[in-house]
Amino acid sequence: MPTEITMPQQSDTMTEGTVVKWLKKEGDKIRAGEIIAEIETDKATMEMEAFDAGTLAVIIAGPGQKAPVGAPIAAMATGKETVDEVKKKYASGTSAAAPATTQKAQSAGAPQAASTPKSSTAIIMESPNTAELKEPDESIGHGATREAAHAVPPIPTSGNGNDRLKVSPLAKRIAQDKGIDLHQIRGTGPAGRIVQQDVLNASQKPTGAGAPATLSPPVQLTARVPTGQTEKVQLTKMRVAIATALQRSKQNVPHFYETMDIDVEEISQLRERLNKRLEKEKIRLSLGDFVTQAVAAALKRHPILNATFDPAKNEITRYGDVNLGIAVALPDGLIVPVIKGVDQMGLKEIRQRSVDIVERARAQKLKGEEMKGATFTVSNLGAFGVREFMAIINPPEVGILAVGGAEKRAVVQGDQIVPRTIMTVTLSADHRVVDGATAADFLRTLKGLLEEPATQLL
Amino acid sequence: MPVIQLRQALREAMSEEMDRDENVFLMGEEVAQYNGAYKVSEGMLEKYGPRRIIDTPISEAGFSGLGVGAACMGLRPIIEFMSWSFTWVCMDQIVNNAANVRYMSGGQYKVPIVFRGGNGIAHQLAATHSHRMESVYARIPGLIVVAPSTPAEAKGLLKSSIRCDDPVIFLENEKMLNEMGEVPDPKDGDFTLPLGIANVERPGKDVTIVSYGRALARVVRPAVEHLANDHGIDAEVIDLRTLRPLDTTTVINSVKKTNRCVIVDEDWGYCGMGSGILFKLQKPLFDYLDAPIEYVHSDEIPVPYNHYLEEAMLPSVDRIVASVKEACYR
Repeated sequence: MPTEITMPQQSDTMTEGTVVKWLKKEGDKIRAGEIIAEIETDKATMEMEAFDAGTLAVIIAGPGQKAPVGAPIAAMATGKETVDEVKKKYASGTSAAAPATTQKAQSAGAPQAASTPKSSTAIIMESPNTAELKEPDESIGHGATREAAHAVPPIPTSGNGNDRLKVSPLAKRIAQDKGIDLHQIRGTGPAGRIVQQDVLNASQKPTGAGAPATLSPPVQLTARVPTGQTEKVQLTKMRVAIATALQRSKQNVPHFYETMDIDVEEISQLRERLNKRLEKEKIRLSLGDFVTQAVAAALKRHPILNATFDPAKNEITRYGDVNLGIAVALPDGLIVPVIKGVDQMGLKEIRQRSVDIVERARAQKLKGEEMKGATFTVSNLGAFGVREFMAIINPPEVGILAVGGAEKRAVVQGDQIVPRTIMTVTLSADHRVVDGATAADFLRTLKGLLEEPATQLL
Repeated sequence: MPVIQLRQALREAMSEEMDRDENVFLMGEEVAQYNGAYKVSEGMLEKYGPRRIIDTPISEAGFSGLGVGAACMGLRPIIEFMSWSFTWVCMDQIVNNAANVRYMSGGQYKVPIVFRGGNGIAHQLAATHSHRMESVYARIPGLIVVAPSTPAEAKGLLKSSIRCDDPVIFLENEKMLNEMGEVPDPKDGDFTLPLGIANVERPGKDVTIVSYGRALARVVRPAVEHLANDHGIDAEVIDLRTLRPLDTTTVINSVKKTNRCVIVDEDWGYCGMGSGILFKLQKPLFDYLDAPIEYVHSDEIPVPYNHYLEEAMLPSVDRIVASVKEACYR
């Protein structure tokens, strides 16, 4: 019996390889462990060792030829048979043998190739495509969309059990005890089952780098890819949810944008004064807190923006409370916790509530209901040095405010150029519900409240 | 502590109980003049005489019934079966009579009888002589089912069984009779082990392995060493000792700690002993399990005569290791 040399599986994702070159030619003796060929995989070119000793009799896959993993690429004479006998066995050599064996090997390799993506989608739970098919934008309620938009995969609407979250009972209980959202965790058990270790890893997860592999792996995405290599990374469930929800929003919601500069010189000074008073309480108001409060007050005066829209019913829901979504960046994604009843809060409470909810969002310890029920969202990239940007609406909300950083700019006052602290905000609004002038009115109110904070007293 | 064979431990248990209580007697095929088919009762005829060591005809249904009647009338018979496989013909006596007389008579009769003998797969005895009867009897209310895995257990549990006022199914294994083990010296006092209490024979933190009798001795103990040395898995091993009533408390407490459970026996899986154990565990443990409970059992085929096929159908070290690794997500 000749010994076949088969295409080795050099990486988990490899389904076929290409022979770059043979380091041995037909008739050469081979020792076990000797490097006999170079194989190019999906990741790299690797040296291939011989497992057995013998004489290389037939090269089936020549340089440049591809073969599926497990398919014979050469045959050796290992014992009693001669090289010529082996050659004969493989018919008229490479040209005749190659297509036949390749074909056979392909069919053998096929189930493997098919099963690999299958199992990985099981881990991912839901591909954007299936989510799209199953959940037309209009058919889902407020909470579901909110969840979908923010890191939680869409709640299955059909009875299709395939996308059910698989969790071991113990893991479920631990997650419950620790207040961990299971949707944030990637299971490492069979078929993506979330097991105890996954939850424990998640509970120890620090913000930022060094997160365990079972979570959305920020390290993977931020780490450098070595020169000359490419790397494929499966989306985390959070990423898939973000992708699905935001794509749906941008495709279905007719966005329009209005930008306005706001002079925050005065409010910055006010902030300093207040912070001095609050020093003892160890509270430090941020400019963002003033924006939050002003947005809440402006929304009370322009309730059309403090609303949700259900296009299936052609129905707007208006809210007497302002539940403000605050976009929080995570190492690989974002999450939008909701501060409810912001319009009733003073700056101190806004500060305390924001700190608490942002911290817990970063630790991924929010409860489900803390990510639901927003009536409007604010996204603030000021801290990142962004001057202005445009945000995508989270349906069914009808508006989102993108807040840039406050900075000293040269401003023309009368005929003078004066340095003032300016902040640029951009409102994205759903034109099905909100018109340009309405949006402008809202922004003018917001500007007034921030530029002349005393007007809030009126 | 003296190291003796398991068969000797059984003999010591019976002898000590016969010395202790004149109502105890041994009856079965070849137990007297031939000194026992497997030499368990060697020398007992000489010591206790033909009134208490009684040879029977080859009629399991007959002498098991004789025993039930004797027990009802106040004696404490030990009935030896050459093989538990032969007790299919005793179902009426053991299941209908022995198990139910106390209940049916409103407590007027009790049945203090021990049925004992070789159970399960020995070696190349083929399909009709290799039955593992534990799941047949362990499901019967009124019976107590015991399965020792060491000589000391054989002695301590058999003595308790003889003293028990209810019928006890005492499951030995022919292949274990030669096994040696430390057994407390009779000079150091009366040694018994309680019925209905399982033994945590090896504490561990990663997984609970539940087993008993031959499977425990033959494959579980070697597998556990293998797991510790080669796979870094620290298994807690529970020797059930009594299969009915089952000591679920000990098992549940263990699995609450390890969150994983693998049951090993040589029964068939479907409706097997392990299935019954699983039934008792899954609900109380549901919220503590990180993985489904694994059950390593024999293949569901008639037991082959061929040595290799017989070997292949039985739980092996490899199968246990594989199942434990699955339960541990390793």
